[in-house]
Amino acid sequence: METPAIRVVSLHKTYQNDIHAVKGLSFTVAAGSCFALLGPNGAGKTTTMKILYGKARPDPQGETVIEVLGFDPRRDELDIKVQTGVVPQDNALDEELDVMRNLLVYARLNGIRGRRAVERIDELLAFMELIDKRNASVRELSGGMKRRLAIARALLNNPRLLILDEPTTGLDPQVRHVIWDKLRSLMRSGVTVLVSTHYMDEAYQLANRILIMDHGEAVLEGHPASLMETHMERHVLEVTNAARASRVDAALGDGNGDDIRVERSAERALYYGNALAPLEDAARRLDFGEYVLRPANLEDLFLKTTGRQLNELQ
Amino acid sequence: MSSSNTGVQGLALRLEAVWYRHMRVYTRHLVSNGLPPFLEPLIFLVGIGLGLGRYIDSMDGFPYLEYLASGLLVTASMFTAAFECTFGTFIRLEFEKTYDGMLGAAITSSDLMVGEVIWAGSKGLFFSLAVLIVILAFGILPVGLTLVTPLVGMLTGLMFGALGIAVTSFVNNINHFNFFFSGFLSPMFFFSGVVFPVENLPRVVRPLAEALPLTHAVRLSRALALNAVEARHLWDFLYILVFTVGVGWFGIVNIRKRLID
Repeated sequence: METPAIRVVSLHKTYQNDIHAVKGLSFTVAAGSCFALLGPNGAGKTTTMKILYGKARPDPQGETVIEVLGFDPRRDELDIKVQTGVVPQDNALDEELDVMRNLLVYARLNGIRGRRAVERIDELLAFMELIDKRNASVRELSGGMKRRLAIARALLNNPRLLILDEPTTGLDPQVRHVIWDKLRSLMRSGVTVLVSTHYMDEAYQLANRILIMDHGEAVLEGHPASLMETHMERHVLEVTNAARASRVDAALGDGNGDDIRVERSAERALYYGNALAPLEDAARRLDFGEYVLRPANLEDLFLKTTGRQLNELQ
Repeated sequence: MSSSNTGVQGLALRLEAVWYRHMRVYTRHLVSNGLPPFLEPLIFLVGIGLGLGRYIDSMDGFPYLEYLASGLLVTASMFTAAFECTFGTFIRLEFEKTYDGMLGAAITSSDLMVGEVIWAGSKGLFFSLAVLIVILAFGILPVGLTLVTPLVGMLTGLMFGALGIAVTSFVNNINHFNFFFSGFLSPMFFFSGVVFPVENLPRVVRPLAEALPLTHAVRLSRALALNAVEARHLWDFLYILVFTVGVGWFGIVNIRKRLID
């Protein structure tokens, strides 16, 4: 079997302010696959990614194993970074330089100089559809352009591993789809992708395998479709007017045999079930606009596993 | 995609790449960054020369204007290097997050900080050279060993760059640098032999003046500029080396926790 691109065993990270960000996390990313870390803000996704390329140090624990492309970031940070592309959450572009010079400087930091750097930059600007922004100042770029520039920058060294921290947060649908297409094309050429996100559709679109994290721990891991299969009912009836939920309760209560799981809040009630018919029957007792009957999605699974309450960092 | 991975480049090239970033930023505004280093000594020397200089015949056996000029060769280096590695470093670290981006590339946090200090040294060299050009253009000092003084400017830049990193490693609020500038650098300008000899200070405070880093940079630059080099100036050179390496090493280790979580 091929050696995995990333292997993490029992990773811990405690910050100076005693926040225990990662608690015994273990996971393996197969070479050439796309692996998504999913979780609410404060789940430990960013910290985990930073540890992989040496931007953060894990707690010193004997049993911790970290292997990225065969190297340990605690010792061989440069060997990892020279073949890894990093897209940090806030881009961290050099605001004092224009697009071209941002890339020239970054190429040089990675040991790519002269004409080779310029050729590579033009190739990537074309790939990320930024070629007419070649001489633009970073400050005048839109959020989507900055993101694409940060991705172009991460690709300069032709990485085997690409680490993206929330690549499409805050971007409009067009840009998100462009970025997903670019990432898919990179994956097709054999690049391993590690992505963090709190968008379920993003994980579903890109990942072969997802790991749902909460409070620094792994909650669920697997292929998105099979996770849905094993941990989630197939359909959901969403009653958007909680005052009318009693009608649904009455309809579903009369013993039609199927297991229904109910989640209630002050404003809404959600009825999850594998059979569609009972939910349809119940929905008939409501008026148009008071409910949505839809297939359950990864977001439902996410909320089921990480809870609906806000944590202290959200 | 074409082209293959490159291996990790050597230390010298990594430092050069960091230096290249700062050079690119600095030369982006050539006029506003390149002109003041010439104007400042011009204003200072003309002001002092036409004003104060008329009342002071000589200082420590040299015409006052020569005495002052030989000290000013390194003070601009001190201020520019200190500024670069305090306010400049802090802004890149905390506000612009420049380092977060740069540390995604194949360099270490130490490379980043050493490159920063080397850049401060380059600015020290350039600022000192600008002062020298003004001095030579006005014929204040003769050509000769004077031409070597920009190298002392570079050492001064390295020394105060290293000190700047060490100071920055403790600072959490950018306004705190005011204490460093008003409380340390500005007084040092007056008490390290730039405007009058350290020997004129009261006996009690003299050891204090000897401990100040600028004292040694001024003594070295003056010895070269006034063609009065002696064996004892080797101590000043050594002081600068030990200070730069010692304080720089401490600063780079201490600032690491700000760069690496």
